[in-house]
Amino acid sequence: MNADFITNIGLTHYLVLSAILFAMGMAGVLLRRNVLVLLMSIELMLNSVNLTFIAFSKFLGILDGHIMVFFVMTIAAAEAAVGLALAVSIFKRFNEVNIRFFEHLKG
Amino acid sequence: MTADAFLFWFLAIVTLGSGLMVILQKNPIYSALSLAMTMVGMAALFVTLNAFFIAGVQLIVYAGAVMVLFTMVIMLFDLKQDIQAFTRGKLSGILKIASVGLLAGLVVGAIAMSVGLLTEKTTDNPVLVGNGMETTKALGQILYTKYIFGFEALGVLLLVIAVGAVALSRSKGGTHER
Amino acid sequence: MGMGKDSFEIIVNGLKLVVIFLMMVQLVPILVWVERRGSAFIQNRLGPNRVGPLGLMQLLADAVKFLTKEAFVPSTAKPLLYYAAPVFALIPGAVAFSAIPMSTPLTVGTFELFGQTWGPYTFLVQGYDIGVGIVFILGVSSLAAYTLLMAGFGSGNKYSLMGALRASAQTISYELALGLSIVGVIMMYGTFHLGDMTAAQQGTLHFQFMGYTVAANWLPNWGIFFQPLGALIFFAATFAESNRLPFDLAEGESELVAGFHTEYGGFKFNMFFIGEYGHMMISAGLMSIFFFGGYGIPFVSVDQVHQWASTVTANANWANALVSLIHFLVFNVKFFFFLWVFIWVRWTLPRFRYDQLMDLGWKTMLPWALANTIITAFVIYLASL
Repeated sequence: MNADFITNIGLTHYLVLSAILFAMGMAGVLLRRNVLVLLMSIELMLNSVNLTFIAFSKFLGILDGHIMVFFVMTIAAAEAAVGLALAVSIFKRFNEVNIRFFEHLKG
Repeated sequence: MTADAFLFWFLAIVTLGSGLMVILQKNPIYSALSLAMTMVGMAALFVTLNAFFIAGVQLIVYAGAVMVLFTMVIMLFDLKQDIQAFTRGKLSGILKIASVGLLAGLVVGAIAMSVGLLTEKTTDNPVLVGNGMETTKALGQILYTKYIFGFEALGVLLLVIAVGAVALSRSKGGTHER
Repeated sequence: MGMGKDSFEIIVNGLKLVVIFLMMVQLVPILVWVERRGSAFIQNRLGPNRVGPLGLMQLLADAVKFLTKEAFVPSTAKPLLYYAAPVFALIPGAVAFSAIPMSTPLTVGTFELFGQTWGPYTFLVQGYDIGVGIVFILGVSSLAAYTLLMAGFGSGNKYSLMGALRASAQTISYELALGLSIVGVIMMYGTFHLGDMTAAQQGTLHFQFMGYTVAANWLPNWGIFFQPLGALIFFAATFAESNRLPFDLAEGESELVAGFHTEYGGFKFNMFFIGEYGHMMISAGLMSIFFFGGYGIPFVSVDQVHQWASTVTANANWANALVSLIHFLVFNVKFFFFLWVFIWVRWTLPRFRYDQLMDLGWKTMLPWALANTIITAFVIYLASL
């Protein structure tokens, strides 16, 4: 850990930060049982990908990354809307939002 | 230590700490509030990357609308402490954590190996420096010319989602109508 | 985005942030006094008139009362959320209020101090200048919904929770109409920057239409004459955003005791109060910037004021200070007028029912704001032909 690593912030720092956040989101999806927390973990993963896009577009000087972030944000909002509607209907039936009740969704 | 470096490390600690809280808190309400904190930290990180407009949209859409919706739904459910907050089996839990660790290690390793392979341009592009107006203008221009199809497709997607969400929440027995 | 290039500039910019925050906080007791006297005036009563001249010392008495009340937590409350909510209530208002430009930039030439020459500076009369001003303000003030939810949930009280859910649902519904109503203004001036918008509204009414210049010398060049519908929707939506009557369903005394702050007393309650008034101040400031020329004097451009000031004093620094002071006062006249309208409406109109509120937001204001956006885009295209 040299001083240059701490003072000189480059592309690598942002990429490592977003990788760690992505791993956190993935751990949340795998380990938690509450549907709402699962959805939140997915949001966390999408956000970390957004950070990667923005970092690349800053350091490579191309704006297309910003557009991708727009699209990802829209899709994340849509996903949250549908996910919450599903969670609400599961809650109405079972009074709990554990992921195991989603087994009943088939047929 | 320059102001930029200090800002980055501060925001990194905030986002990582509150991101960790999202997956470790047993009560989903604290998870949601921590995720909102993560979103705000992420918006500040976007500002350090000169993406002012995206940072504003992040605050309005994610922190201001999506996470408020999550928090409202959790409050309406009035969930007690989750009985089974985490996964059940011990072995499968260890396997899952190990796989996450492996993925994280692989990704971080790949990034560390690729340092210096990418040529970094920081200042020679006039679009990505300045106080945000030039970037926003250029963003609008390519959004409505080069990416117009994606933009329109997203509009249709949003309409479908709106209809679907209303239909799901208005059906009588939820997904289990008899 | 830097704070400045030497110690003097950094100190002044830092002090400016503190002064603007204090200005926001100190306006609240004055507004409370105006509100109580104004409501008394509207309802043909006297209002507070015992403590000090015109009841002005009532503010101090209230402050002492707030500070000496017993600090208490309900037994069902979640202490972390319960204590955090009032603190967070202050933040969005204070951060967004600092981004509002209140006067022309103050230019200071070189001068000698402590045996050293200090270079020419330009100080903005606002906390900080941010390129995407209005997006930033909307984003930060949308975070206010969390404080309501935290307070409602943290109190552990059903009335508080109902009030918080109502308030936050109302806030995020009206944010759509609010955002869409100013899209017309943003398209017309072609910028998000609040200072540039103000600069575009100087002088008398004139615009280009299909190659012809249309001018009306008897009207100031204000946004409201271009966007009357946008102004109406924006002003109505800000009432809902700041949870004021006629949209104060969050409180609804007849149904929900006092809404999300039922369990709060003393200084914690006061902080919610400051947050609500902070929202009012942001709305009043934005209203005067978008539609009423900001700090500009009607019919007169900033350059003309500069010429007049240079005839008053020969010293350029004093002339600049005079110009900034005049514009600051003009901004404050507009600002206080809109704050008075907020109070006036509160004591004039009755409260809506909740379904009426949602109908108004989603079925009336949102379509009209969309129509306003489309028509503005069409007219701008026609005018550029």
